[in-house]
Amino acid sequence: MKTDLFIIGGGPAGLHAASVAATYGIETMIVDESFSLGGQLRQQTQQLRNLPKSFKTQTGTALAKQMIEKLRQLDVTKLVKHTMIGTYQDGRIGVTDGHRTIPISANKIIVATGAAEEACAFPGWTLPGVMTVGAAQILLNREYVRPGKNALILGSNNFALQVAKQLAEGGVNVKGIIENKERMEGNETETIDQLQKIGVPLYFNSTIQRAFGREKVEKVILNHGHKALEMDVDLICIGKGLSPILEPFEILDCHFTYEQALGGWLPVYSLSMQTSNPSVYVAGNAAGITDMGAILLTAEIAAVSIAESLECVNNADADKTRKLLWQELEQIESESFKRTFQARANVVKRFQEETDLSQVNGQ
Amino acid sequence: MDESTIICKCEEINLAEIESAIQSGAHTFDDIKRITRCGMGPCQAKICSSLVREIISQSLEVSLSEIGLPRMRMPLKPTRIAALAGKETSSSVVSVFAESAPKEGDES
Ligand SMILES: Cc1cc2nc3c(=O)[nH]c(=O)nc-3n(C[C@H](O)[C@H](O)[C@H](O)COP(=O)(O)OP(=O)(O)OC[C@H]3O[C@@H](n4cnc5c(N)ncnc54)[C@H](O)[C@@H]3O)c2cc1C
Ligand code: FES
Repeated sequence: MKTDLFIIGGGPAGLHAASVAATYGIETMIVDESFSLGGQLRQQTQQLRNLPKSFKTQTGTALAKQMIEKLRQLDVTKLVKHTMIGTYQDGRIGVTDGHRTIPISANKIIVATGAAEEACAFPGWTLPGVMTVGAAQILLNREYVRPGKNALILGSNNFALQVAKQLAEGGVNVKGIIENKERMEGNETETIDQLQKIGVPLYFNSTIQRAFGREKVEKVILNHGHKALEMDVDLICIGKGLSPILEPFEILDCHFTYEQALGGWLPVYSLSMQTSNPSVYVAGNAAGITDMGAILLTAEIAAVSIAESLECVNNADADKTRKLLWQELEQIESESFKRTFQARANVVKRFQEETDLSQVNGQ
Repeated sequence: MDESTIICKCEEINLAEIESAIQSGAHTFDDIKRITRCGMGPCQAKICSSLVREIISQSLEVSLSEIGLPRMRMPLKPTRIAALAGKETSSSVVSVFAESAPKEGDES
């Protein structure tokens, strides 16, 4: 199969990039390994804050539906239940549906494979009943299954707090949120206020000493300051944050860099969201862990830049659009965490330095 | 965490085994993988990679940014051999796997 633009990942970043690209008249194909599009938005029932101007405030699930509907009206080829598993020596991408592997040749590629949740090891963490906050969220909001009766949340970033609140509202008794630092990592005041109203206790300077149980979690002992606290729980949700999914970038020969504020290792990219492999672009949480507003804006920047390089829009117009998008990105991203945008600027600077260096070396 | 805490779920490798690999000179994820099988399970290190790099960082007192990523190879996800082989003789399995052969300069 052949296409001008091939997008890997049908989450919010991939979906938005696809609709912007198709609007520019680019022949676009989008692939996702899941049986439906929407990515990790499909179980996000919370109201999304800080969306770009062109989006109205709504929940994650509503936004996913809206974007899928929009794509339906555009001329975009959608391949669900297809996984990108590698590349051929001639540069074509290998995609499999489980029965056969299909080579796809594309002029440009956007990798929008999102992020994976970090694990946290403690004695007993391999017992059934210990899962990530994302897994609990999928069970609750997508499968309508309560993942436990009495829960403990490990971690206090915004994502962990959102899930704590959703679990509590879904009838799970959230017995506590524990954080090893001395203050909260998350900063969404609304979620924090609501958790307080529900009466969920927060334990700072605390870690899990051990989880026990016969065949599944039944009890947990916490180190809380100098004291040991015991709790009966059948669900422990690990919310230790996210990191970009990197495998496709390595296979596509992209260079990596490290920025803790963006989730650790990630591909270096330019102001066009272009990686060190000129035909590969990046968008969404794969380009650094951030909020939904920034996820959508990076996707739009990638799509506009690809439209420019495929001559579907002239340089001056693309430049103007890109500048406005970066301005909005800086504003939205700095509003929640200043260091996230700072880290992003570092990534772009490093891309520039690499490019300058390779020009000096005549490569 | 105690010494018997499992770090790699898929291969059931515990903290003691990882620490002893570090004491024998391992300083990257791939070193530890070669010595212990940590990271070789069905998830292909998706779960244990960060945990192990954290342990290396603490034991050797180096920052996480200096501990490189595991080498990631094709196929990126568990894939049935039949799906790679196809039906034709000039099958894609050759080209898919050929690409994952070690490059020049790679440690074997
Ligand atoms: C379970 C889970 C729950 C989350 N819930 C929240 C939340 O409540 N609040 C919050 O702020 N953030 C949450 N996040 C973070 C999430 O990363 C972002 O909210 C957002 O969905 C990222 O958008 P994206 O388009 O970059 O990636 P995603 O939405 O993750 O989409 C990436 C898509 O790429 C596909 N894909 C990946 N690799 C391949 C491949 N090799 N071949 C084909 N397709 C592939 C995946 O199937 C997925 O559909 C959650 C993450 C996870 C994993
Ligand atoms: S947890 Fe180590 S390979 Fe899966």
